[in-house]
Amino acid sequence: MSAVATAFGLVFDPYVLAVIMGSAVFGMFVGAMPGLTATMATALLVPVTFFMSPVPALGAIVTATAMAIFAGDIPAAMLRMPGTPASAAYADESYEMTKKGQLDLCMGVNLVFSVLGGIFGVIILIVLAPVLAEVAINFSSFEYFWLACLGLTCAVFIGTGDPLKGLLSLFIGLAIGCIGIDPAAGQPRFTFGNVDLLSGINFIPTLIGMFAVSELLRGAVTMEKAGKMVQQSVGNMFAGLGGVTRKYWKNFIRGSVIGTVIGALPGAGADIAAWVSYAVSKKLSKEPEKFGTGHIEGIVDSTSANNSALGGAWIPALVFGIPGDSITAIVIGVLYMKGMNPGPTVFLQTPELIYAVFIIFILANLIMFPLGWAAIKSAKQILRVPRNILLPVILIFCMVGSFAMTNSLYGVVLMVVMGVFGWLLEEHGIPVAPLILGLVLGEMLEQNFMSSMIKSNGSFIGFLDRPIAGTLGVLTLLLWGAMLWKVLPFGRRQPAAA
Amino acid sequence: MRFNDAVVGAAFLLIAAAMIAMTFSFPAFPGQQYGPSLFPRIIGAGIIGCSALLIVRGLRERAAGGRWLQPDDWTGNPRRVASFALMLAAMAFYVVASEPLGFIPCAFLIQLVLFLWFGVRPLTAGVVAATMTLLVHWFFGSMMRVPLPRGILDSVL
Repeated sequence: MSAVATAFGLVFDPYVLAVIMGSAVFGMFVGAMPGLTATMATALLVPVTFFMSPVPALGAIVTATAMAIFAGDIPAAMLRMPGTPASAAYADESYEMTKKGQLDLCMGVNLVFSVLGGIFGVIILIVLAPVLAEVAINFSSFEYFWLACLGLTCAVFIGTGDPLKGLLSLFIGLAIGCIGIDPAAGQPRFTFGNVDLLSGINFIPTLIGMFAVSELLRGAVTMEKAGKMVQQSVGNMFAGLGGVTRKYWKNFIRGSVIGTVIGALPGAGADIAAWVSYAVSKKLSKEPEKFGTGHIEGIVDSTSANNSALGGAWIPALVFGIPGDSITAIVIGVLYMKGMNPGPTVFLQTPELIYAVFIIFILANLIMFPLGWAAIKSAKQILRVPRNILLPVILIFCMVGSFAMTNSLYGVVLMVVMGVFGWLLEEHGIPVAPLILGLVLGEMLEQNFMSSMIKSNGSFIGFLDRPIAGTLGVLTLLLWGAMLWKVLPFGRRQPAAA
Repeated sequence: MRFNDAVVGAAFLLIAAAMIAMTFSFPAFPGQQYGPSLFPRIIGAGIIGCSALLIVRGLRERAAGGRWLQPDDWTGNPRRVASFALMLAAMAFYVVASEPLGFIPCAFLIQLVLFLWFGVRPLTAGVVAATMTLLVHWFFGSMMRVPLPRGILDSVL
């Protein structure tokens, strides 16, 4: 119990609370601006959190992302432009509601069910993570190797529309992760005699490049595109909410469960959770014909799902050190930089840190309520901030943030290179999220692979000897088989050339 | 701007082949067949596999009438191409000029030029560029103690 008390002490420190409030406002703003994503908010926050101790750093990231995922709903309803990809699934539906004059109800439902969905995800996280950690504590390098493989495979399989390009992206990430000193033998690889590359590809500038700079490059050529702001003002958001809750409470539970599960699957995050739960809602609805005409039902499902996915994504991240989405991939990268090894041992060595994350999560969802209300009320002013001012300012933040990570121009150069590379990849339909997962997990994967090889004297059979490792291994191999079937030209279902 | 999948595949195939070729210069663990070269070779093989499939897919698409290079609609608009190039040029300028000029002049200039290009009114552009530059410098330079280059303002700061 003392760990819980310590955790409360850590979180309810004026400095930490101030950081949480600041990042909440920041997350709200970034989420509400179309074209700026929750992942981008995290990427821009990381250079700042780098200088903090773990609790405020995690607090900033948890809070900012929770706010951003909710705030994405606001421009979806008002401009028909989702603020983050996680709101894209029901942007049209929200906008139709607005056109019917139901902006108040739409915003109220988005706010309340975002909060409730977020809390649902956190409760599952709180209940499940310690139980799973007790199992995970017995894992050896074999289990971790297969777990990492399974996680990365899931990321490619469910997280991307085109498994072949997702897989390629993952391999590219793993290859980039090979640069630097190898973890088993200490041999420098692919450094070309460059001193900066000896320490490996710095994770943060890569992240800023891939998630922020590439977005700026896309933004620069679509500068004139702006949504038309609705003239409706927001009145009482909570009128009629009781009726919606009574009628659709099952949708809330279903959306939250789907969200948490999809969030927990590695590689798939809030955006996919929203799409899936919207589709499920439509399929199981008694009135599917109303979907797409400004019907609240699907919104209840998917706005709960995308917020609950955030908590879900932390389950594998905290327990196994395997990220559930690109945001937790960033968190794991941050934890590594702070010299902590995410995984079950954290539950034993620093349980107060785990409890602190739980507390921050609940806190973030609670302050989402008043802050979200304020954001909706002032949405017209927020959305009026012009993109032609915003993009150059973000560019400066990107460059300073990358510089701060290495205290040299190496960080900036890396950011530019990765930004252009990431832009090129996305132009060709190759998603960058698997690449980031590969980059984060590459070293852990190789380390566990090499130590397993050494333990089993180079025999691959040893990888399947232990019961859990064997199960995980067979599962992974089956998934690979299924993927091969899908990807190969003679496979049953050939993916359409996108 | 989108190249045919076969072109993308071929590019990554070459990179992966070069990567595997480089692993042959790595030393092995004495008496064992696996060492620092094993993992990169597996990854390289994976990239080659994916690239080969991409090439097959790209060639099929090409045979079905696809083009080698599919330009986006913005590439036909000189102003937007310039916007894109200017964004890249701003970053290149920072890399080259931030050491000799210093952070403050560089950040101010970059913002000012981009603001004006994207159609912000000159007065607003100047004020916002100056404010944001000083704000970022104060936050990262003073609060976070990042050694931002001082450049020509070295004697003043």
